[in-house]
Amino acid sequence: MLEIIALIALGLFAGAIAASLGLGGGIIFVPALVVLFGFDQHIAQGTSLAVIFPTAIVATVAHARMGNVRWRLAIPIGIAGIFGAVFGAQIALRLDADLLRRMFGIFLTLLAVRMAWRAWRMNGRPETEPEPS
Amino acid sequence: MNAALIKALALGAVAGTVAGLFGVGGGVIVVPGLVLWMALSQREASGTSTATIVASSAAAMLAFGIGGSVDWQAAGFILIGSVVGAWGGAWIAERVNERLLAITFAAVLAVAGIRMMI
Repeated sequence: MLEIIALIALGLFAGAIAASLGLGGGIIFVPALVVLFGFDQHIAQGTSLAVIFPTAIVATVAHARMGNVRWRLAIPIGIAGIFGAVFGAQIALRLDADLLRRMFGIFLTLLAVRMAWRAWRMNGRPETEPEPS
Repeated sequence: MNAALIKALALGAVAGTVAGLFGVGGGVIVVPGLVLWMALSQREASGTSTATIVASSAAAMLAFGIGGSVDWQAAGFILIGSVVGAWGGAWIAERVNERLLAITFAAVLAVAGIRMMI
């Protein structure tokens, strides 16, 4: 029961961050499931994808209604993406969970640095002086 | 094949591979690719990227699912929360300094990333 509440809370938090910062949920779900919930790296990734898929459908409908989807680009990217995704998943499923977790850690840290760098240079002067990271 | 189509296929292949390998959507690759490489606006890039994620996440989810690596029940509970959270996020975005939120969140991700590397 406690875990159910914690999972719903994770969704709440990730959904709010995703909507306010324009991030996908995957970079939140995977580390949270591994670090906080003790999931195996593979199950964390598969579960993350199972949340992303329905979320992306809903978000696409919303974007398409506002005319923000360029289908002529989205369709070839999506088709190539299917092949890439199956290829990437086959590699992931063959890797040892510890190795995959470490690779994910490197990927996540690089993303965090990029994100901090971009936010740092964001328009205008800072309201509060952030600590250099 | 024209140049735009070749670019789109290349971008999709790379983004899909990252999505499948790491269990993420692939937007971290597609959005900057569309903005920097194909000159889309940020708004169109987000919308177009989201549509591509439907395809790549479905394929990767099935691959992990067949491999027995999806906790469907946990996914369902997270999904319930994230639907509500997405509403809340729009509310938060209007009231919080986005820059500060982004830097704070980046720091949290960096800590998680370093923990996972060890």
